[in-house]
Amino acid sequence: MPDDRPAASNYRYISQPRRTKEDKRFITGRGAFVQDVQLAHTKHIALVASPYPRANILSIDTSAALAMDGVLDVITGAELTEHTDRLYHGVDLPNVRWHPLAVDMTRYAGEWVAAVIADSRYIAEDAAELVAVEYEPLDAAIGIERVMEPDAPLVHPDHGSNILLKKKFVWGAVDDDFAAAEHTISYRARWGRSSAVPIETFGVITRWSEKDEVLEVWASIQMPQYQEQIADALRIPLNAVRVHNYIDVGGSYGVKRGIKQTVLSGYAARKLGCPVRLIEDRIDNMSGGDAHGPDRLFDVTLAYNGDGLIRSMKMRVVDDVGAYPGRSIQQLGKPISALCGPYRMSSIEYDVTSVTSNKTSQVAVRGFGQAPTNFALETGVEKIARRLGLDRTEIRRRNFIRHDEFPWKIPSGTAYDSGDYHTVLDKAMRFAGWDALIAQRDAARAEGRLVGLGIATCLEPGGGNNIFEHLLNEKIQITTFVESALLKIDGQGQVTVAISTHTAGQGHQTLAATVAGEELERDPDGIRVVHLDSLEALPTRGPVASRMAIMLGSAVSKAARRLRNRMIHIAAHDLAVADTEVEYADGEFTVRGDPARKRSWLEIVFIAHRQLHRMPPDTEPGLQTIEVHAVPGGGKLPNEKGEVQIYPCFSFQAHIPLVEIDRVTGQVEILDYAVAHDCGTVINPKIVRGMMMGGIGHGIGAALYEKFDYTEDGQLLSGTFLDYLLPSAHEIPDIRDTEHCTPSPLTSHGQKGSGEGGYLGAPAALASAVNDALEPLDISLTELPMRLADIEAALHTHANPVPETAP
Amino acid sequence: MKAAEFEYFRPTTLDEACGLLADTGDDADRCLLAGGQTLVPMMAMRLARPTHLIDINRITELQGIRDLGGSVEIGAGTRQRAVEKDPITRRKLPLLAAALPHVGHHQTRNRGTVGGSIVLGDASAEIPLVALILNATLIIHRRDGRRETMADGFFEGPMMTALEPGDILTTIRFPVWDGTTGSAFHEVAPRKGDYALVSAGAQVALDANGTCIRAAIGVGGCAPTPLRLQAVEDALVGQRLTDALITQAIAPVPDLIDPESSVHASAAYRRRAAPQLVQRALLDALSEARP
Repeated sequence: MPDDRPAASNYRYISQPRRTKEDKRFITGRGAFVQDVQLAHTKHIALVASPYPRANILSIDTSAALAMDGVLDVITGAELTEHTDRLYHGVDLPNVRWHPLAVDMTRYAGEWVAAVIADSRYIAEDAAELVAVEYEPLDAAIGIERVMEPDAPLVHPDHGSNILLKKKFVWGAVDDDFAAAEHTISYRARWGRSSAVPIETFGVITRWSEKDEVLEVWASIQMPQYQEQIADALRIPLNAVRVHNYIDVGGSYGVKRGIKQTVLSGYAARKLGCPVRLIEDRIDNMSGGDAHGPDRLFDVTLAYNGDGLIRSMKMRVVDDVGAYPGRSIQQLGKPISALCGPYRMSSIEYDVTSVTSNKTSQVAVRGFGQAPTNFALETGVEKIARRLGLDRTEIRRRNFIRHDEFPWKIPSGTAYDSGDYHTVLDKAMRFAGWDALIAQRDAARAEGRLVGLGIATCLEPGGGNNIFEHLLNEKIQITTFVESALLKIDGQGQVTVAISTHTAGQGHQTLAATVAGEELERDPDGIRVVHLDSLEALPTRGPVASRMAIMLGSAVSKAARRLRNRMIHIAAHDLAVADTEVEYADGEFTVRGDPARKRSWLEIVFIAHRQLHRMPPDTEPGLQTIEVHAVPGGGKLPNEKGEVQIYPCFSFQAHIPLVEIDRVTGQVEILDYAVAHDCGTVINPKIVRGMMMGGIGHGIGAALYEKFDYTEDGQLLSGTFLDYLLPSAHEIPDIRDTEHCTPSPLTSHGQKGSGEGGYLGAPAALASAVNDALEPLDISLTELPMRLADIEAALHTHANPVPETAP
Repeated sequence: MKAAEFEYFRPTTLDEACGLLADTGDDADRCLLAGGQTLVPMMAMRLARPTHLIDINRITELQGIRDLGGSVEIGAGTRQRAVEKDPITRRKLPLLAAALPHVGHHQTRNRGTVGGSIVLGDASAEIPLVALILNATLIIHRRDGRRETMADGFFEGPMMTALEPGDILTTIRFPVWDGTTGSAFHEVAPRKGDYALVSAGAQVALDANGTCIRAAIGVGGCAPTPLRLQAVEDALVGQRLTDALITQAIAPVPDLIDPESSVHASAAYRRRAAPQLVQRALLDALSEARP
């Protein structure tokens, strides 16, 4: 049985608890964030935001603002629309037009209506107050069910409906499975509007270089095809956009997708001939930055037997994407890759509806829609267990795919690469001390305390084969999702890896250096990793979708192996033996069985770079190579039944939190939190651990604290950190974790993704714990976040049932 | 989130500050800057737009804790953290000592001042509540004089106090209770360090027989101002405090308060939580008083 990183001992650098390359610069305050970019003559943008969730813009008078000293320009939506193209949506919506600034109509409170460009942000904000916008306020479309009603106000009148997408998928014999099942259970689950809210807001600086006719972009970004979207919107060639990918990102977790900000800044920079900087402040970010997360209503029916085996699922989900869907609408698509989680269902019906509303727009958030779906699925598993009186871990064990059944194809056509769910669950329970925690819970219950033990598992699809986009939008026929590495060994024998994307805190430099070091048997500390800018870059999909260990890791591995083999080839030629006669170890190329005959690393480097006369005739001078790695198992469109392989690798986690609820206040305290995780071979344990801890913290927020609350008429109530509650160090407990390794057969070293699992599992696990605590009172909550007032209200209603009124 | 334009002054004496504050020859909006933990974000959001900002952090007369035996005087400019860590506070003002850890986070308490919190008069803030429960004496200076006023009556409405334009709160004098006393402070906030949804403080004094001879009880977050619960106090004084008596005494609390709804707690939530938190505070105060 694979256990405790068995492969680790075979590796010199991979899986070793080595320091990361990035930490030093962050800890010593030497990161290079967008705000650190200082360009001469930079101008600053401040934004005029709509106070109304839905209003016609009757007029905009910019004269007073323009008259202020230090103000260069005021740009409105009308001007911008004339000179730039609309922004991209993930599904085909010709009559839903999205521009960086509102045109004719505002669609949410906080939407940007005009942009002031001035010598300083202070002046720009002073002038923004002088921009006089005349509005005609209109009733707003608010409420995930309300917006679907026929008489609801229309967010995009030209579209004719607030429904942006409606699709139903049936994979397998759903009706037959339902008919054959002994029981069904139906329930509703609600995932509230939260997001990732990084400490660093989105920021961008652009400069139009007249000399090169290139738009230079420095941004705090994490988005695939950023440069393509900039070029398209600004109507300039892609090779006239240079995104500087070295910029550090102060947190993203999916949300750093500031395309509208970049187009606005880029347009202004080109028009005015000076660098233009737009750094969102917290209010810009939370109300106007289009960075809210999924907001979902699930209606689920599960068909199951008396032994707890789930045969089939019907999942209906409505997602409120806010005013402009962008690419986020596709967050309903990614969950298809693991819709049944780790369970052996034989059929699934998936009915998706995406609605628009007069709320701030949605953006990609960690897991791209998978965390809400896992919460909805796990809620059902818990409900069945409760109904059957079955242990909550036992029902999972009965439904888990078995270790010997991989690759396992789920009804929607995706094959899971590998896994050992039973073992990881057992390990989590042993590590958590499940029996002791149960005893602790029961002892507390006997004292009248509300203590609950939670359990949830989750699958983390990694690798980013985004073919699900085709399922929601047949016009998208993209099947290429690559990542590239350029490796070179210079004339001094030093190794440099050039990668083609930005990084958002995932530690790609450590990843690339560790893998290259492993293959070349060179110390990763001496390996340089650089970020090519987008003009220099090779094909890339970017650092999303838990994919870089899988994709960049495999690309670097292949490139490094190729260079290693090339060096062996050069050495063999120089030693006048066959390649197979040369062994490479620790920087020395030795003839097998004749240790005296050898060449050093530096000798081979010198031959490759300087001594063509000693080179094999078929070999290119220098030591460099490019690897463009395609997603394993990808490259296919769905078949006629809508079945397709989405994502290649599937990580697994089991979370076990213990919570206590205060009967009076409804406050939840996390007493203990244990987790077991299996993301295959770990490249760097510290990075994996950091991502998992951060993900769990993020999940604690979604489960217990974070929500963008709106009034019924569409005003955002929690638009600052006063009311949008991020869990702080006080609310995040010490998390105990243990590791397991089921290598992926599809990657260079068996690695899988690890950036999202904490967030995918924690909300479901905490909901499980809260509901376990409330079980003696027969209370069950299925709406996140479960904030203290929600829990207190449920306790109060339980204690004071509404008396039946006399007829 | 950049403040509107303002003029900045940094006096080093109280007289100088009083002069600057009183100099109202124009329609300027003068504002004192102490710890700045509320004012500076308010200015950044342009919810506060003083034209003249008078920084009183360098005025040494506003600093310090003085034990006067029957009372303790705290300079209005003293950092909350300094008061929290001072042994005088723990020994003489246990209710304040119990409340201070709930004020924001220790990072904000390193800057925030005792006086700043009181003059802001937030109904859910801990320090104004303690000042009210103990009926502290507030010493106020202005260019043409000095006066003393009691905390009871000082808090007039939401973020409104009896302070007049030109006034500087300079010292808070807390009375020290003799004899066998106990005190406790409880609150519920969405997260540790957040503004309280509901808070409750209680201080009781017992005679040798265990009879309650003095009680001071108040709640925060339950009305436009911090609120003293005289009726609950009256029900306890002169009685031997039993669980049953306390349960009976707190019963009218929902009718004594006038809470509003906010994002994180409805008025109904506050009505339900307030008596329970008062009860917790009373029980803890009592158990502290009983040896």
